[in-house]
Amino acid sequence: MKVKRATIHAYWLMFIASVITVSIVTSSQLITDRIGLLLDRQASELLAADLLIESSNEFSSDYRAQAQRDGLQVSQSVSLRSAIFVDDNPSLIALKAVDANYPLRGKLETAGEMTGDRQVTTEIPARGEVWVDSKLASLVGSRLQLGEQSFAASRLITYEPDRGGAIFNLAPRVLMNHEDLASTGLVVPGSRVKYRLMFAGAAADVGRFKIWLMINIKPGEEIQDLENARPEMRRALERTRKFFALAIVLTLVIAMAAIAITARYTATQEAPKVAMLRAFGISQISLLKYYLRQLGALWVTATLVGIAIGWFTQFPLQWVLDGWFGKALPQVNSLRPYLTAALVGLLALAGFSLPYLVNVTATPPMQVLRTVVNSRSWLRGLSISASAIIAVFAVLMLLMQSSLLAVATLALVLACALILPLLLGWMVRALLVSSQRRFWLRQYLLSRLRATSRGAIYVMSGFSLVLIAILLIAVVKDELIGEWQTQLPEGIPNYFLINIRSEDVGGIEAFLRQRGIEASTPYALVRARMTQINAVDVDKIDFRDPRAAHSVTHTFNVTHAEELPDQNQIVAGEWLSDNDDLAQVSVEQGLAERLELEVGDRLTMAVGSQPLEARVSSIRSVLWENFKPNFYLIANAELIESFPQTWLLSALIADSDKADLKQLLQRYPSVTLLDISELMARVRAIVDRASVALQFFFLFALASAVIVLLAAIQTGRHEREVESSLLRALSASSGQLYRVHILEYTLMGALIGFFSAAFATVAGWALSEYFFDIEFQLSARVWIYSLVSATLVFSLAGTLVSRRVYNVSPMKVLRS
Amino acid sequence: MAENNLCIALNQVAKTVDTPEGKLDILDNISLQVEYQEAVVIKGASGSGKTTLLGLMAGLDQASSGDILLLGHNLMQKNEEQRAAIRSGQVGFVFQSFHLVQGASAVQNVMLPLELSGIGDAQARALASLQQVGLESRRDTLVEHLSGGEQQRVAIARAYATRPRILFADEPTGNLDATTGRQIADLMFALRDQSGTTLVLVTHETELLERGDRQILIESGRLVSDG
Ligand SMILES: Nc1ncnc2c1ncn2[C@@H]1O[C@H](COP(=O)(O)OP(=O)(O)OP(=O)(O)O)[C@@H](O)[C@H]1O
Ligand SMILES: [Mg+2]
Repeated sequence: MKVKRATIHAYWLMFIASVITVSIVTSSQLITDRIGLLLDRQASELLAADLLIESSNEFSSDYRAQAQRDGLQVSQSVSLRSAIFVDDNPSLIALKAVDANYPLRGKLETAGEMTGDRQVTTEIPARGEVWVDSKLASLVGSRLQLGEQSFAASRLITYEPDRGGAIFNLAPRVLMNHEDLASTGLVVPGSRVKYRLMFAGAAADVGRFKIWLMINIKPGEEIQDLENARPEMRRALERTRKFFALAIVLTLVIAMAAIAITARYTATQEAPKVAMLRAFGISQISLLKYYLRQLGALWVTATLVGIAIGWFTQFPLQWVLDGWFGKALPQVNSLRPYLTAALVGLLALAGFSLPYLVNVTATPPMQVLRTVVNSRSWLRGLSISASAIIAVFAVLMLLMQSSLLAVATLALVLACALILPLLLGWMVRALLVSSQRRFWLRQYLLSRLRATSRGAIYVMSGFSLVLIAILLIAVVKDELIGEWQTQLPEGIPNYFLINIRSEDVGGIEAFLRQRGIEASTPYALVRARMTQINAVDVDKIDFRDPRAAHSVTHTFNVTHAEELPDQNQIVAGEWLSDNDDLAQVSVEQGLAERLELEVGDRLTMAVGSQPLEARVSSIRSVLWENFKPNFYLIANAELIESFPQTWLLSALIADSDKADLKQLLQRYPSVTLLDISELMARVRAIVDRASVALQFFFLFALASAVIVLLAAIQTGRHEREVESSLLRALSASSGQLYRVHILEYTLMGALIGFFSAAFATVAGWALSEYFFDIEFQLSARVWIYSLVSATLVFSLAGTLVSRRVYNVSPMKVLRS
Repeated sequence: MAENNLCIALNQVAKTVDTPEGKLDILDNISLQVEYQEAVVIKGASGSGKTTLLGLMAGLDQASSGDILLLGHNLMQKNEEQRAAIRSGQVGFVFQSFHLVQGASAVQNVMLPLELSGIGDAQARALASLQQVGLESRRDTLVEHLSGGEQQRVAIARAYATRPRILFADEPTGNLDATTGRQIADLMFALRDQSGTTLVLVTHETELLERGDRQILIESGRLVSDG
């Protein structure tokens, strides 16, 4: 009786694994290039341009001329501080004069009144008109005096793309037409004016111009980047980028693990053939050439098919993302993604399969007559690992250009790959010893796992690696999104009420409480400017960080809080102590770094003309993206009591309560409302889009996992059949055979699940802690998913395998 | 003895291996000669060392001591690759369990060693060889779909395709029923008569034993009779 061998040919599995690798690279290069471009655009919106330079002097006309020669659009703006009178009180404003091209990236949004409809506009204020932001909402419809000229405040700005900094820290915006600026007479020699020249265009043109600019820039002129953009948006963009890099590295690792496992399987399949050919006198060199040719052919076809698949995948993704972005993904027109994919395919094949094939050509020819144990196995293991490490490293360098995250991920993965087989082997051996002289099933089972001919340990390690990578993507993604959700839960405040007078605080709190509107505790604000650090004038300090200059001219809100605000953390020193005598201030970490402040330093500030002195008692990290009231400087209550204060609170106001808002504004006309839901929505959208794109890479990861599983089932299948037929010959019932198989696979699955969850947890913690700056939470879900999925998948595979094995005739044992 | 007339010569050959229980002498003090075109049959009880001896004669394995001459080369001074070069195109094998490449057709199996040793016109030679064993009509059938006897015939075709000077066979009929075994034996000896190949085969089957020019008996690793 003849046994049918419906084995999937090993080469096919290796081929598919290579195709997947190439597709992943093609697709990720095409897609992430485009998503990268999109994120750049999103970032550009924060600058209202792709590139800008800033100076306190006017720019020479060379810049504009060169930019236009390079095919770029140019826009200019002039910003300065000025004062206007509101109800006879002088009020500091941030005036910005823009030309018709502004903004080059992003769009302004305006409304007729605070509660009115918002409109996206491509216009700028007409001559003789100004637009104001919501802090000056009460002025819309009236006239205001700017220098020597009077303007009609015609609209309210609800979104200004390049408005940097923490919102309520800023002076109110007044936007005017650049052509009106001269007539105000505000720009005179000696006034603090900030000139900006903004540029936008195709990436290559911008790049070329940037290089020209770096060569030709004059002292005092500064190329601006994202650093000065809104901290909330900037962080979201950075994390999204990092997360993409991580997901791609991990997906690739999975695909390459699949190549390694299938290559190993191929090598075991080829061994008898090699032994036979060597017996016939074929030299190792000719065999090597033979396998190199095969590998070459495999590479060429896999590259072609992989590139085709990768190319097609951009369409569904584009379709999904277009909906989200409301605009077409930018096109990538270069050969680079395809060449990279081909090269990665080659590196992966060479690194992961070549050592196995070189190795198989050394199969002793005596093998044709009897099983020969091949010695030098640790040396072989070493050469295989070394070549795999080099391959992974080359691939990462090619794709990531030494991103620290990629290198760290690689290190983690390699650690797993090296430790896993040892750990699994040790585990099986330990179980084996512990169950000596017991029930045959158990002994028998474990020896099966241990037998190297089956490669069970390798397959288990490979599958674990795949599972770890999948879990890691899931863990970090969950953490990231979870983090956003805890930061931006539904129902967090969407309005800031600012400029509340001390005498109105109680009334406003009562007003909100009556209407069931949730509000934060009120914060007292004192506006102060930094004058001295440790009794040295800030003008005279030579700060290393160029951004410091900006910080010392900035007016800060100094506030008081009894307790450390939510999601703030003390990184140095101690939170405000109860000692009333001390004048203490807690400084935000970023500001402290820019101004080189340390705990114990003395700060002197000016509130109007009065000095305010305090000692830095702590340095604090702030989670800017939580949209709660966040402050650079928090002082003890006594310190700010004596200064003129206004108050701030945040509230959650539903659309249906907008009518109440009007009432509130009528009753307390000094109060200004800041709507931050727009900004929140934008940040949310970035994260949402990123996760959609990521689901996509998951598909590739799963496809690779299936290949690994198939290789796992195939590996050692022949031995399994022979053994089963032997057991049948020894009159084992099919029930017993079934049990052995299911148990073997279930045990493998459980071990894989356990170790994968353990490694993924550790790696997830490391990545969250060191790269994403998010608090890691031990997730029971990871353990459950891992254990259940691995056990289930393997038991299922076991069932399928046993069905085949049942049909093996006991004759088989006699024939081989 | 006139060495240049000898196809294979063993002089005081021993084979010792390391086992977990210590050193094990598998073969001890074996001396024998095989002349060109001779058909030598090796017999002996199971575990006596027949396969080991065959492996040494063919240069598949390295002896522990003694001298082995194959086709005029002293194998003791040669490494694995050099021994392979001596075998290349000169030596053929037929095994108990066929050792055909699964997933390849009959003719592909026969062509494989021809192509790899760089012998020209592989396909024509492979087909001619298949014709000799009477399997021309099954040339494109996958070997796993052939019967045991047919598979062994493909293996014989493969072994003869390079027109070897020596054919080694380890229990070539061991996996076959008596009738098929007899057909295979007929075929091997018929081809030997045609081509003048030297035959060294290990067997238990009386059928095959009686056809040999000479019988060598091995017992517990020693040569006890030759002739
Ligand atoms: N590498 C090895 N390590 C340990 N023992 C070995 C090794 N090679 C052969 N032997 C032992 O040497 C003895 C002879 O083996 P060999 O295969 O040559 O016997 P054989 O005569 O071909 O037997 P059979 O007729 O059963 O095929 C056996 O007892 C075998 O176990
Ligand atoms: Mg034998």
